[in-house]
Amino acid sequence: MQPAVEIHDIVKRYGDYTAVDHVSLNVPAGTIYGFLGPNGAGKTSTIRMMMRILLPDEGSIRILDKDLATVNLDRIGYLPEERGLYKKMRLLDQMVFFGEIRGLPRSEARNRAGAWLERMGLADRAMQPVEGLSKGMQQKVQFIATVLHEPDLLILDEPFSGLDPVNANVLKDIILEYHRKGHTIIFSTHQMDTVEKLCDHICLINKGRVLLEGTLASVKQRYGKNGVSLSFTGDGTYLHSLPEVASYQDNGNEVFLRLKDGVDPGRVLDAARARLSVTRFELAEPSVYDIFIEQVSGDVR
Amino acid sequence: MKAVFVMRREYTEAIRRKAFIITTFVVPIVMASFLVLPVLFATMEPQNVVRVAVVDQTGNIAPQFVAALTDTLKNGKRSFTPTIVPTTAASYDETRAGQIEAVKRGDTDIVLAIPQGIMTGEKASYITREQRNYNVLQRFEKALNDVVLKQRLAAEGLDYERVKDLTAGVTVEMNQITAAGSVEKKSFMAEYGVVFVFVMLLYTSIQSWGVTIAKSIVEEKGSRIIEVLLSTVTPRDLIIGKLVGVGMAGFTQLGIWTLLGLVLTGGGLPVLLASKLGALNVPPVTFLYFVMFFVLGFMLFAALFMVIGAVSSTEQDAQQMQVLVTLPMLVPLMSLMMFMQNPNSAMAVGMSLFPPFTPLLMMARIILLTPPMWQILLGIGLMLVTILIAVTFAARVFRVGILMHGKRPSLRELVHWYRMAG
Repeated sequence: MQPAVEIHDIVKRYGDYTAVDHVSLNVPAGTIYGFLGPNGAGKTSTIRMMMRILLPDEGSIRILDKDLATVNLDRIGYLPEERGLYKKMRLLDQMVFFGEIRGLPRSEARNRAGAWLERMGLADRAMQPVEGLSKGMQQKVQFIATVLHEPDLLILDEPFSGLDPVNANVLKDIILEYHRKGHTIIFSTHQMDTVEKLCDHICLINKGRVLLEGTLASVKQRYGKNGVSLSFTGDGTYLHSLPEVASYQDNGNEVFLRLKDGVDPGRVLDAARARLSVTRFELAEPSVYDIFIEQVSGDVR
Repeated sequence: MKAVFVMRREYTEAIRRKAFIITTFVVPIVMASFLVLPVLFATMEPQNVVRVAVVDQTGNIAPQFVAALTDTLKNGKRSFTPTIVPTTAASYDETRAGQIEAVKRGDTDIVLAIPQGIMTGEKASYITREQRNYNVLQRFEKALNDVVLKQRLAAEGLDYERVKDLTAGVTVEMNQITAAGSVEKKSFMAEYGVVFVFVMLLYTSIQSWGVTIAKSIVEEKGSRIIEVLLSTVTPRDLIIGKLVGVGMAGFTQLGIWTLLGLVLTGGGLPVLLASKLGALNVPPVTFLYFVMFFVLGFMLFAALFMVIGAVSSTEQDAQQMQVLVTLPMLVPLMSLMMFMQNPNSAMAVGMSLFPPFTPLLMMARIILLTPPMWQILLGIGLMLVTILIAVTFAARVFRVGILMHGKRPSLRELVHWYRMAG
C-alpha cells in the first residue's frame, strides 16, 4: 500500500532562518500519525507545505500517490492552527459553503451538515450566526466543516488546543471513527497523553529536523524497557547522579529514570530507599512524554 | 469553477447584512432630498395670516400699498391683514414707537414704517420679532417700490404703465443642442442637481463596495479561513469570486436605485421640480451608463482594495491604507463644480479619459452634454485595460500577501512579492 504522504528532504527558509531543515517522512495510509515537536519546531510550516500554502525551497512532497502539484486537494481535509469561521455567517450556511468548495453537491452538503449539527446538539442554532457560539462550540463546528466532505486524508494542526476535556473527547471520538473507516489522519500536537492514546505512528521534530519517526511501538522499543518510575517523599535530586542512571526526569508527583544498559533496577531501588521514603517503584517503558522531553532537551544542536 | 461558490457566499452575505438593507432604502431618500429640499424651502409659503401695521409719515402711500397686498394663502385666506395706523408728520416717531410696543406685546406681527423722505431715497423700515421670512420682506419692498415709483413718475407727468413697458428687462435663456440635434432649454441648477446625485451615488457605491471587499479579505485573513480556502480554491478563483459576488451585490443595490430613479423621474419628481428647476431631463440611457460605470469603477478600485485587504493584518490597518485608493476618486469629486462650467474643454476631456477618473467624470459629461461616442468608447477601453492590469497585479500580490501577518509590507516588499508570484 502506498503511503498517504511521502515527504522527501524538504527545506523551507524564511530569510536566514531555516524553519524546516531536510525533513523526510512517510505517513502510511490508514494510520493516525502524530506530528510532535515543541513550539517553533517547524510543524506548521511542514503542514502548510503539504497543503500547498507554502512552497518548499527544496525537496518534494507526494500526497495520496500523486505529485503535490497534481493532487486533488479536495481529498484532503485541513484544519489550520489558528481557528476561525465567518462570524456573521449562519452556522448551516457556513458548513454547506465549506462542503461545497470541497466538491460536495449543495444538497449533499446540506444533508450532512444537518446530520452533524443534530449530532452535536446544535440543530436549533443552525440558522444563527456563528459569533453567538462559545469558543469550544466554534472549534467543533470548524472541525465538522473540515471533515464534512469525508476526506481520505485529514490534516489537523493542533486540533486539541483550547478544548476542554469533554470537547476534546468528542473530537477524539470523531478522529477514531474516521480511522475505523480507513482514512488517514495526521495531527500535530504537544499534548503527549493524546498521542499515547491515539497514534499508531509518530514523528518528533525539533528545530526543523526529524529526531524520531516510526510506529509508536518501535519508537518505544528503541528506548528499551529499562526505565523506572518511582514516587517518594524527600529530596530525590541526588538520584540524577547515580552511576546507574542515564537520565532523570522530574514529572512532579513521580520521577522517571532511564537506566543505563544492563543495570539491575534493584540497585537503583536500594539507592533510593537509602535516603528517601519510597511509596511506589515500578519498571516502566518510557512514555511519549518522557521521550519527547529527553529528546528535545538533549537536542542542543 | 469554485469561483461560483465564493461568489454566491459573498453575494448572499452582502445582501443579508442589515447595512445593505438600510443603505439601499435610505440613500435614495437622502439623495432625493438633496434635490427636493432646497426647492421646498425656497417655495415654502407662510402658513399664517400675517398682521401688518403700516405707519406712514407721508400719509398718501399707505392706502395704495395696502391695496396692492392682495396675496392669498393656499386656503384662500388673505396672506396679510394690513392696518393703517393713523399718524401725523409730527407724531410719526411716537406712533412708530407705539407700534413697536404692539409687536412686543404680540398684538401685531410686523411694523412697516414709511418716513417722509421715502420719495427722495430715505429707507423704510420693516420691524418684526418673528416674521423673518425673506419672501415677505421682498414682497413688501416690491409693493412699496411700485407705489413710490408711480408717485414719482406722476409728479413728473409720466405714465407708470408706459414707463414700465419701455424699461422691461431682457432675459437670456440657456439652450443646448442635444445628441438628437434638437435645441432644448437647459437649467444649470437642474443639471447640477442631477450630476451631483449621479456622481455622488457612483462615488459612494464604488467606495463602499470596495471597502466591503477589503474587509472580507481582512476577515478571512485574520480568522485564517484563507488557509482553508487556498487549500482548495486557486487565488484566481477566489479573486474572481469575490469581485463578481460583491460586484453583483452592488449591482443589485444600484438596480433598486435605478428602478426607484426611473419611477421618480418618470413620475412625481419632475412635476414637483419642473416649475422651479426647469425640465429635469434624465433620459433612461443615463441609468444604463450609470450602472456600467459602476461596474467598471468597482472592478478597478475593488482590485486595489483587495491589495489593501491582502497586505493588512487588521481592519484598522486596512482603514488607514484606504485613503490611498480613495484619493484618486476625491479629485474628480472636488473639481466637479469647475468641470461642469466647461465639460468639453481639453482639460475636461483629458481628465475624463484618465481611467481612475473616468467613472465619475465621463458620467458627469454624459449627463451635461453628449460627448462624441469615440470618447466614451475610448474611456471604457482604457478602463478595461487598466482593470486587467490592476486585477493581475492584485492577484499576484494577493497570493503572497494574504498569508503574511504582522508588519505591514513596504513598497519594496510589495514589488518583491509581485516578482515572487511571477
